[in-house]
Amino acid sequence: MIQRTPYSWNSHQISAATFSALLLPLITTVTLRGPSMVLTMVIALGASLLWSFLFSALRKSAFNWHSPISALIFVLLLPVATPIWQLVISLSFGLVFGDLIFGSRGRGFLNAAVVGLAFLLFSFPATPPDTALPQTAIAAALSGLILLALGLISWRIIAAFGICLAALIPVLPASANWQDLQSATVILGLIFLIGDPVAGANTHLGRWLYGALAAALVLLLGQTGVGIGSLSSMVFGALLASIFAPLLDQIAIYDNVRRRMKRQSYEP
Amino acid sequence: MHFDIRRGIVAPRGPSTKDAPFGTLTAKMIAMMGDDYPNVVFDLHIKEGDTVRAGQTLCVDRHRPEICFVANASGRVSKIRLGPRRRLELLEIAVGGDGSVTFDTDDLSKLLLKSGAWTSFRTRPFGLIPDPTATPAAIFVTATNATPQAPDPLRVIAAKAENFERGAKALLQLTTGPVFVCQRKGASLLTPYDRLKIATFSGPFPSGNAGPQIHRLLPVSRQRKVWEIGYQDVMAIGHLLATGQIKTSRVVSVSGTTHTKVVVAPLGIKLADVAQTIDHFDGDQLRSGSRLTGRKSHYLSRRDLQISTGKTEALPRPFWHRVFDALPVVSMGATLPMEAFERAFPFDILPTPLMRALAIGDVETAERLGCLELVEEDMAVLTQLCTSGYDYGHLLRHSLNLLLRERAG
Repeated sequence: MIQRTPYSWNSHQISAATFSALLLPLITTVTLRGPSMVLTMVIALGASLLWSFLFSALRKSAFNWHSPISALIFVLLLPVATPIWQLVISLSFGLVFGDLIFGSRGRGFLNAAVVGLAFLLFSFPATPPDTALPQTAIAAALSGLILLALGLISWRIIAAFGICLAALIPVLPASANWQDLQSATVILGLIFLIGDPVAGANTHLGRWLYGALAAALVLLLGQTGVGIGSLSSMVFGALLASIFAPLLDQIAIYDNVRRRMKRQSYEP
Repeated sequence: MHFDIRRGIVAPRGPSTKDAPFGTLTAKMIAMMGDDYPNVVFDLHIKEGDTVRAGQTLCVDRHRPEICFVANASGRVSKIRLGPRRRLELLEIAVGGDGSVTFDTDDLSKLLLKSGAWTSFRTRPFGLIPDPTATPAAIFVTATNATPQAPDPLRVIAAKAENFERGAKALLQLTTGPVFVCQRKGASLLTPYDRLKIATFSGPFPSGNAGPQIHRLLPVSRQRKVWEIGYQDVMAIGHLLATGQIKTSRVVSVSGTTHTKVVVAPLGIKLADVAQTIDHFDGDQLRSGSRLTGRKSHYLSRRDLQISTGKTEALPRPFWHRVFDALPVVSMGATLPMEAFERAFPFDILPTPLMRALAIGDVETAERLGCLELVEEDMAVLTQLCTSGYDYGHLLRHSLNLLLRERAG
């Protein structure tokens, strides 16, 4: 077995690497959708920097460089027809209540983009669905591969998600096919929303369970008429799964403690 | 018994020790450092300017006065530095003069206590010097090199095999349980005898440390306590039993960026003396310990068998990672859980929940998650990998002390 050496990261380096991985789907989307996308991005970035700055100034803490990245992920998944004011309100809600009030990235338990998108879908349900962009899906898959290779997202979560999807699709009543699941929304959501290490489980067993739970929730929520692989099924699937992640970790901890107790009573 | 430890990190590559004969270093200054013995309150028996002989008691443990700390060279006590709360931080001896104390070798535990050899044991749980009256469930002799640059135990023991065997057999008197000699694959360091057993370990850093080995052979708990001791300290006990005099030197490797030398060095040698004695070594950045986990120090630490020089780099990393060096320095942050923690941590203990419990000082959870099986050195890989910048070794010591106090009171 070839030993792959883990190397140390700091939080700026992780933000920079995530941003580099995000560039690929960003460029693809801008090319496909035209310059209006750039304006949306600039506004989202401005709002996120403002909130980060406000929190670091008021709390006298380090600047949170992950907020702009959350904003970019948010914009990538956002339906095109969303009015700017709705974007700013829901993004602000997501950043503040999903991330910043907990302290900084790593101290909360939710992904800011997920919270923002969930707020948007709840408050403004009339947002029309998007047209499929297969090129963005390919770009998102590539950036997922980069993050996997860097070890910044867990392959166990991705694998569990895939296995659970493959197992459940034949059983489900509503007609679903693999085409629906190859959309940019599903892949971006899997990599950047469900795959987010902060929002997910952080033990090996927990990661398997979390990936599987996320897939089951995405499929289940897709049954409600919005369609499998739609934005709302991904976002609410990710939100519910990350709320359950600490519980799944507790299961893993319980299992580990029980196993170690057994070993401690053993005599050679 | 063989254990293949898969988890760990590949230590920075560097020149490994060659088959060349051991060189010898002479020290002008040696020192004893208080930090090598966590939680001990020292009662000094000498004062600055006194002349001491090798083996003479310098200080004792205030709470357990049977435990003596002795001079590892004859000479004059040139400096005594007290740290916070007037705890002994450094005791420096200017080496000179002959003569050493000869001990009576009849009663083993009395001999070990008087000669300072007792302080080479470390308990698990808690990582402290054991109580003079305690009997451990087992004793572990660590005869595995921590990094490829550390001296090869096989060669060191081969030079004085009878001392190692005598020392290891003496350990059988201290416990009613087994004495495990943990070694790398290859020729057996000694023939198994009675409760004396051999276990072999292979794997990357830190599989050579006692922690992962004890975790696999006999995991400790509040009920089950074991002791660990290094192979050269066992040889020193063998030497002590044969001659009645303490062994004041250890075989250590001095590794630079281009070559590594194996030398016989006095315990607690001043590292600046090392740099002067050996050519081609850059004396600016001397560390006691390996290039990976060593710490900046002026003297060789009690348990370290390696001195590293030259520019140090935390972990080997791919070329493209250097792009990120341009980014500004991060202040203390939070833990970002990554699978790398599990890949590097060779225990069946969940690293991220443990790190979080230690960081917030939740000792009950930390104990449930298995922190009693660990000591500071075991946390080194997690400290290296975590984005937060916390020193998990310090945090672990803090939690262990709280657990210790809770049990005592």
